[in-house]
Amino acid sequence: MNAALAGILAYFGLGFLGIVFGKGRETAVLAILAGLVSLGLWAPGFPEEVVGGPPWGIAVVGDFWALGIWGLALFLHAAALLHVWPKDQLRHALITLLVGTSLAGGISRDLFNLYVVLELSSLLSVILIAYEGRSAAVWAALRYLFLAGLGMTFYLFGLGLVYGRTGLLSLGALAKVETGDMASRIGAGFLLAGAATKTGVFLLGLWLPKAHGRAPTEVSLLLSGLVVKVGVVAMARLAEAFPLGPIVLALGILTGFGGILYALRESDLKTMLGHSTVSQLGYMLLGLGVGAGEGVLVYAVAHGLFKGLLFLCAGEAVEKSGVRSIAELSGKIPRPAALGLALGSLAIAGLPPLAGFAAKGLLGLGQPFWVKAVLYAFSLGTAASFSKLLPLFRGRGGGKFGGIAFLSAGVLALGILGLFLFPELRGLQAWGEAFFAAGLGFGTYLILRERFPPLPKLSLDRAFLAALLASVILSAFVLFI
Amino acid sequence: MEALSGLSLAVVLAALGLWVMVSRRNLVWKLLGLGVASGGSILFLVALSHRPGVRPPILGLGPGPAADPLPQALVLTAIVIRFATLALALALVILLTEHRHTQDARRLEEEE
Repeated sequence: MNAALAGILAYFGLGFLGIVFGKGRETAVLAILAGLVSLGLWAPGFPEEVVGGPPWGIAVVGDFWALGIWGLALFLHAAALLHVWPKDQLRHALITLLVGTSLAGGISRDLFNLYVVLELSSLLSVILIAYEGRSAAVWAALRYLFLAGLGMTFYLFGLGLVYGRTGLLSLGALAKVETGDMASRIGAGFLLAGAATKTGVFLLGLWLPKAHGRAPTEVSLLLSGLVVKVGVVAMARLAEAFPLGPIVLALGILTGFGGILYALRESDLKTMLGHSTVSQLGYMLLGLGVGAGEGVLVYAVAHGLFKGLLFLCAGEAVEKSGVRSIAELSGKIPRPAALGLALGSLAIAGLPPLAGFAAKGLLGLGQPFWVKAVLYAFSLGTAASFSKLLPLFRGRGGGKFGGIAFLSAGVLALGILGLFLFPELRGLQAWGEAFFAAGLGFGTYLILRERFPPLPKLSLDRAFLAALLASVILSAFVLFI
Repeated sequence: MEALSGLSLAVVLAALGLWVMVSRRNLVWKLLGLGVASGGSILFLVALSHRPGVRPPILGLGPGPAADPLPQALVLTAIVIRFATLALALALVILLTEHRHTQDARRLEEEE
């Protein structure tokens, strides 16, 4: 436990030093090294302990969620640092602080500490999204801040209700006591609604696609790859402590299909990747709802790698060419970015032997038929929404590989590792099903391409109303399960 | 009774703030709404720790049961976070006003 705390402290300390002395790059390198050493020291994990001692300390735990988040965070931070090395020092220092916050979120198992971590990551994300001062990005950041503020208000009310009834804040302790009374149930619903709004679940957190789409390249990479996963871990820990399974399952199905619909319709490359992140959250919530924790973690790490790769390449393409729409981008993308886009799209469509295939396979392993059917429907929709990127896979002219090569290697390595460890994934049937779903998705895209109906615009006021109504309905449902 | 009125005031404040956030188009009004709503959530935590007949949780205030000090300690952190959020949001509103010359959420949405 002490090693993990020291790693987090080193991350925060080095981030602050980077701001004060204007040496963000160097301190970021030191922070990654410190994080790796710390992870190596606590690596197999540690049981729940209370920092500051009972009764008022903060519960932390080094379980598989913490291990996964730490590994992903350090890898993505290294990739982002490598790719945007020449950018300014302050930005690197702020990114170090954001990654440090995510590390803290990975091990936290205390309701109020999770609140602080979620708020801190929102604030840092907002600063980084609006960093370059373009008005579209500033507007996207402000929408994020408004909706996250709404979600966190709900979260604090939920925290009060649960604490007032049980006198506990540690999620590990809450899992052991009876929380069946009305106040705790409504409280649990509010807590889940707040965490879901902050994470970007469909109908609750409609800020996500635009914010991820408008952020600078390396920030989109970290937001979609890492910050979203911290929200998923927070929701996973809430689902461990309270009986929220069916609600999370329903949210997962809604999020998966909602994200896919908007991704199919969207014509702006980076915003479309943002919608796709929402739909991928659906896989993770579905897995949480049916209690496949380890599978969800593998999926979260795999998604962090391939969506990080996709955002890195898309950001590179948009920065180099100055246009954002998918139609206008074809033929204007540097070769490394085009290759990365191709690899990432194949991985997200679930084709073997890439990370997406292994993760989808593991998530569906041993699940009942209907879960597999929903997962196949998600795969089909994902393949359909990524079919329109096909013209972008042919690159033109040189460019730097940097972080693209780094993340591509990660996507390949995780996929091959999965194939190596799980013989179930090596069968002809699994491969055939993956290719079949992707092919069917491509066919769906060809049919739907010209006649896709327009969808309601996700304006701020609609997002507010949707979040409010969804939070209230969600909490009402918690009462009846 | 006092605690009950504190709790209900907190809920009323939150509802009022959320209503302002939804109904007003001006960004500064929306921010005010967010401030009032989160103020409600903070009051909720403080009011929860109050039980009839307890003294404030300060050493040396005399005998008798003290109120639960934990929510009050948590609330300090929450207040600091709210302050940072509002300050950052105001800075972003100023940036937007300079770029786009409007604080109307609907017009900001349309002009993209």
